[in-house]
Amino acid sequence: MHSRTAQDLLAIITSDEIDVRAVQKAVGAPHSGAVVVFHGVVRNHDEGQDIQSLDYRAHPDAERILAECCRSVSEETGLTVAAIHRIGHLEIGDVALAAAASAAHRREAFDACELLVERIKSTVPIWKRQYFTDGRSEWVGL
Amino acid sequence: MAAETGTGVIVAVRYFAAAADAAQCEEEQLVLDDGATLGSLKVLLVERYGDLMRRVVESGSFLLNGVVCKDDALPVGDRVDVLPPFAGG
Repeated sequence: MHSRTAQDLLAIITSDEIDVRAVQKAVGAPHSGAVVVFHGVVRNHDEGQDIQSLDYRAHPDAERILAECCRSVSEETGLTVAAIHRIGHLEIGDVALAAAASAAHRREAFDACELLVERIKSTVPIWKRQYFTDGRSEWVGL
Repeated sequence: MAAETGTGVIVAVRYFAAAADAAQCEEEQLVLDDGATLGSLKVLLVERYGDLMRRVVESGSFLLNGVVCKDDALPVGDRVDVLPPFAGG
């Protein structure tokens, strides 16, 4: 499940453990003095409740939409970006999302990475069920 | 003795995540009125499946022809996906 655009943007949905160096390598370039990499990590609490683990599900079109997301951010910023989202069962500390942006200078790279993460969260059809330590579970966002 | 108001259209509906929990299935075929919109589909889904589905369609979206949509006025066509609010990242 690998999608690359004409600009060779990396955008992957995978059930495998994320290779966090892959997004960094994908955006690195000789003209880039700043590479910002964001890791979205499964944490052990949400709104005051203790979390045991998470299940991520993705729509079959999610990888295409993730690629559109990366492409739109790249076109708007003029920078290279990349993202990998993991799905399936994740435990505390697992990386669910790795997103990266590179630029000549750090400000632009930070801003582009932030924009990319926000857009992934709002536009890519991925869902998360959280399992609490007391045995209950619920879909996030409803 | 229902009046002939049109043949109706068969729509393939897919449910994901919380929507699949609410419908107790991942896919089914529903008969909708000719010219059915996302708005009329929402009403039907809430009637069939109750409060969890109501929360899904009020806060979520639909996938029509590969595009994520929220506009109740859009025609449904022959295939639609019910998408709960996204929670990636």
